[in-house]
Amino acid sequence: MIRVQQDAFDAGVEQRTLLEGRRDIGAVVSFTGLVRDFNERPEVQALTLEHYPGMTEAALGTIVEQAEARWPLQGVTVIHRIGRLTPADPIVLVVVASAHRRAAFEACDFIMDYLKTRAPFWKKEHTTSGDYWVSERDGDHHDARRWEMFS
Amino acid sequence: MPLTHPSLTHLNARGEAHMVDVADKPESRREASASGLIRMQPATLALLAEGGLPKGDVLATARIAGIQAAKRTHELIPLCHALALSKVAIDFTLDERESCVHVTATCRLTGRTGVEMEALTAVSVACLTLYDMCKAVDKRMEIDAIHLDTKTGGKSGDYRRGEPRGAQAMVPPVIESVASPIVTGDGGPGEVSVGQRGDVATPSIHVKCLAELRERLGVGEVSVPVERLPSSDVAGLKTALKALDPRFAGLDEGRVLCAVNQVMAGEATPLTDNDEVAFFPPVTGG
Repeated sequence: MIRVQQDAFDAGVEQRTLLEGRRDIGAVVSFTGLVRDFNERPEVQALTLEHYPGMTEAALGTIVEQAEARWPLQGVTVIHRIGRLTPADPIVLVVVASAHRRAAFEACDFIMDYLKTRAPFWKKEHTTSGDYWVSERDGDHHDARRWEMFS
Repeated sequence: MPLTHPSLTHLNARGEAHMVDVADKPESRREASASGLIRMQPATLALLAEGGLPKGDVLATARIAGIQAAKRTHELIPLCHALALSKVAIDFTLDERESCVHVTATCRLTGRTGVEMEALTAVSVACLTLYDMCKAVDKRMEIDAIHLDTKTGGKSGDYRRGEPRGAQAMVPPVIESVASPIVTGDGGPGEVSVGQRGDVATPSIHVKCLAELRERLGVGEVSVPVERLPSSDVAGLKTALKALDPRFAGLDEGRVLCAVNQVMAGEATPLTDNDEVAFFPPVTGG
């Protein structure tokens, strides 16, 4: 299940929904990303998330399909928020269910690495010293490339 | 024939057929388009257009047949690899003047081998299915002119059949620029507002600039007449944009990514009328 929304989400509710009525799931891994109050500059007061409607959903769908092709997964939920967010707000949720923990851990990690480098979202941070668009990070690309070595 | 013609990769050193090992080839985005046509009696074409043929919805059936065929090409063509296609699109154009149906197929994937055989197979089987669906009323139909139109991506480089368009004179007017930059937060927060689009009657490419790039260039959305493109691809669009408005020189500053119809694309990605092309900075979500 993939959602792009302004509203907040409840990781607990989403995880319970994914597991409801299932007896074949042996492991569930959930990752929640939060807005920090420091990034390229200190004192981030808020950020605005822009996306590319249509392509965003398709890109997330492709990433989930790739994860499902690599690991035996029994369920995946990806929720990404857009619009204006403030520090401590949840921004992204990935929940992955599998029969075994290794697949769930790795697939969750993979989905986040690919989401950060392939899904069309852009952050603009609002700080006490002005607004700026967040730059891409080499570290994110390095993280995403880890998965290519094993393909 | 060129003096040094390329070798036939499906033949080994002894001239025996073999499947090419593609394990060490890098993955890249590949796309191929092929087309063909089936000629028929004007009355058959009219029946097809009206949906009056005994086997029902002819074009929908032929479209599914073409898509299925593209996916099963490796079962039909001996030395073809099985590919995980990311897109197969089949289009039909009814041509009353020539009394035929034009069939085009576009296949796409990110992988290690080209998809021209898939596109050609899709066109062939879509044509055969049109024959099957219409043969009760017309047995003289003729399948003709099946050929590859374009192929992009991969080591052997891009291929485009025939002349590039854009050479014609009498080009309709200029790029329409949005008066003021669209700022994040207009419309739904986090969404890009829909700006003006060009005259729908003029074949055009719809261009969007997103996020930081939109603010830096001061342009949200523009439409560019296809005739303005020196070549029918993303590189040609960029040339046309820069010629029409100097602000687009900013497309060459820093890392700027591109998507065509919402799929990541490159300079050589082919463009046609009504395509949506987005330019944007590297993504920073998560």
